Amino acid sequence: MKFINIFLIVAIILNFNFLKADEIKTENKIAKNLRCLICQGQSVHDSDSEFAISLKIVIKNKIQEGLSEEQIYNFLKMKYGEWILYDPVFNRNTYFLWLLPILIFLAGGAIIIKRFYYKK
Amino acid sequence: MASLIGSYSLSFGLLFSVFIIFFSVRNLRDNEILDKKIISFTIIQFFFVVISFFGLIISFINSDFSNETVFNHSHTTKPLFYKISGTWGNHEGSLLLWLLVLTLFISIFLLKSNQQPKRYRVFTLLFQQVIIIGFFIFLIKTSSPFNYIFPKPNEGLGLNPILQDPALAIHPPILYLGYVGSSIIFSSALAAMVTSYVSKEWAKHIKKWVLASWVFLTLGILLGSIWAYYELGWGGFWFWDPVENVSLMPWFALTTLLHCILVLEKKKILTSWAMILSIATFALSMSGTFLVRSGILNSVHTFANDPERGLFILIFLFTLIFLSIFIFIFFHSEKEKLENNFFWLSKETSILVNNWFMMYFLSVVLIGTIYPIFLEVITANKISVGPPFYNKLILPFLIPFLIAMAIGPNLNWVKSDFKDKFYMTIFLVISFLLSALIIKQFDINFLINTILVTSAFFLFFSTSREFFVKRFRNLSQNIAHFGFSLLILSILFNNIFSNEVITNLKIGETFKTEKLTINFENIEQEDEKNFKAIIGKFNVQNLDGSSDILNPELRIYNQPNIITSEADIKTNLLTDKFMTMNYVQNQEYFNIRYQVKPFMIWIWISVILISLGGFLSFFKKKYEI
Repeated sequence: MKFINIFLIVAIILNFNFLKADEIKTENKIAKNLRCLICQGQSVHDSDSEFAISLKIVIKNKIQEGLSEEQIYNFLKMKYGEWILYDPVFNRNTYFLWLLPILIFLAGGAIIIKRFYYKK
Repeated sequence: MASLIGSYSLSFGLLFSVFIIFFSVRNLRDNEILDKKIISFTIIQFFFVVISFFGLIISFINSDFSNETVFNHSHTTKPLFYKISGTWGNHEGSLLLWLLVLTLFISIFLLKSNQQPKRYRVFTLLFQQVIIIGFFIFLIKTSSPFNYIFPKPNEGLGLNPILQDPALAIHPPILYLGYVGSSIIFSSALAAMVTSYVSKEWAKHIKKWVLASWVFLTLGILLGSIWAYYELGWGGFWFWDPVENVSLMPWFALTTLLHCILVLEKKKILTSWAMILSIATFALSMSGTFLVRSGILNSVHTFANDPERGLFILIFLFTLIFLSIFIFIFFHSEKEKLENNFFWLSKETSILVNNWFMMYFLSVVLIGTIYPIFLEVITANKISVGPPFYNKLILPFLIPFLIAMAIGPNLNWVKSDFKDKFYMTIFLVISFLLSALIIKQFDINFLINTILVTSAFFLFFSTSREFFVKRFRNLSQNIAHFGFSLLILSILFNNIFSNEVITNLKIGETFKTEKLTINFENIEQEDEKNFKAIIGKFNVQNLDGSSDILNPELRIYNQPNIITSEADIKTNLLTDKFMTMNYVQNQEYFNIRYQVKPFMIWIWISVILISLGGFLSFFKKKYEI
């Protein structure tokens, strides 16, 4: 019985550490995807400004509250606007941003293929 | 005094443009051979700009604060080296540098092109003069480096400390050599169209300029990147910052042109494409200058903004673009049908594939950089386009690109079979096993990381093998491609295996994680000429018992009064250990950031290899295989 108890405790502690490590990982990942609004082209993760420091705390708290990554992005978007997100959302405003390069790629391919068919 | 001479010699320089144009036009009508006078005038114009440039340097060395540029960007306590580099560390001076390189390059062009047809040379000179005159007027009208201040101030405002750095002192001149080199390509392409000289001979001649610009641009970007790595203190080397993107775009265009020229040199195909690329490369270099100088971009590098200047460059840029479109439509004719026969599997196709992907990468960076600007103007919505965007759109496409790059150079011209199927298959299998072994940790990114690393390894092995198979034939290309595979591998490993610790520490405190212990031992203070340094002493103990002493620094500059943090980096062949210490207001503790970054030095080495490839190719007598 004692054995099982110890085993359980160890398992819980190990698991807890895992969770903790995962939390820090997510925290860093989120902070890397956010623009530090008062800096010149720096991410929240990279910056040590007061804004960045307080935002990192906000992210930490939100993760502990159990919000998912997506929910945290949405929360920050509501609060600071899309400007804060380094990964632009796919919506009416950004259709061209995401699709134009792909279209250009396809067009390029089409031009090359056409060269060969045209000849024959 | 030096400023006065500098200012006058600028005006004289502009005057010589008039002479050059007058004699060139006359020479075009009358003579069979190039008038020697024109070459002399071009060189004289260059010397006037040199005098003007030295005038500015001397004003900086003497700290002549009656000169507005010196007053704004220098200080008496600044070390001599940074007084000199301060000359181009600002808007006015850097434009003067542009002009200096513009006039230098056209002089070299005229001296080195005596094998070429006269009309082609004269037209190149004329188009180059259009650019030169534009820059003269821009410089004199809106951004004169020689404005006079009265009464003379006693002390200057100083140079931004993060710009006081050896890598950054030589970064702008090298980068500009690349940018401005593309102006010669531009002028010469226009001249070649006007004089119907778009041919193999032209390709052979302009290839040297393409290579030279490309090497300088590559090295310039490298220096900027190294600087950002150790100076900006967050341990990355590329941030997809708009100003970095702006230097990357001409690089993509130039790389594409370089490959396209290789085909054109062999046979007269893809001429229109080569023309478009020549024009685009320069247009991208110019708009880079425009975007940086106008302050439209939100970036660490924007150190001068003035809407009037932006407007001038914009108008100038559009004039040049319209001029080139006009010439392209009315003078360029594609007479290449005869030689236009090659098959699916051939070196030609593989170069087309290179061009295709390069254009795609270019368009991603271009759209990512300028789209937010347009969106804000049209809808008043501000969005950010950062690293996640570029990673998503570029990384998947890198896989076929790397594989094509491994296969392409082995193909023959016109028609080919897959060669060395045996080796290629083996390499592919080994690459895959190796990558799976290295990545091992299963998570969401496992698949994409393994495939990426596999394709990079594949290129790595196949280029390595070519060193043995081809030996000295095509050594330059092989080194460059090998360097590229090494670059991608190092970047991938660096991204996947970087580790970092961020914490707040007081003096004497210790921070422990599973892998290491950081001990903040003490701090020392040192007084330098233009700053006070607070140096921290840290002892980092690793799991395997080894330990490193790291000494990151805080610098409190006197003029302007700015605190910067200097990273301490311990480099060896496998990893970089990187530590910065940041000042936190009203607190006893410091913010410590410690990073372990694998293969960092290989990123630099591989870019140097890539440029070395270009450099060797410059001396190659003829293109073979």
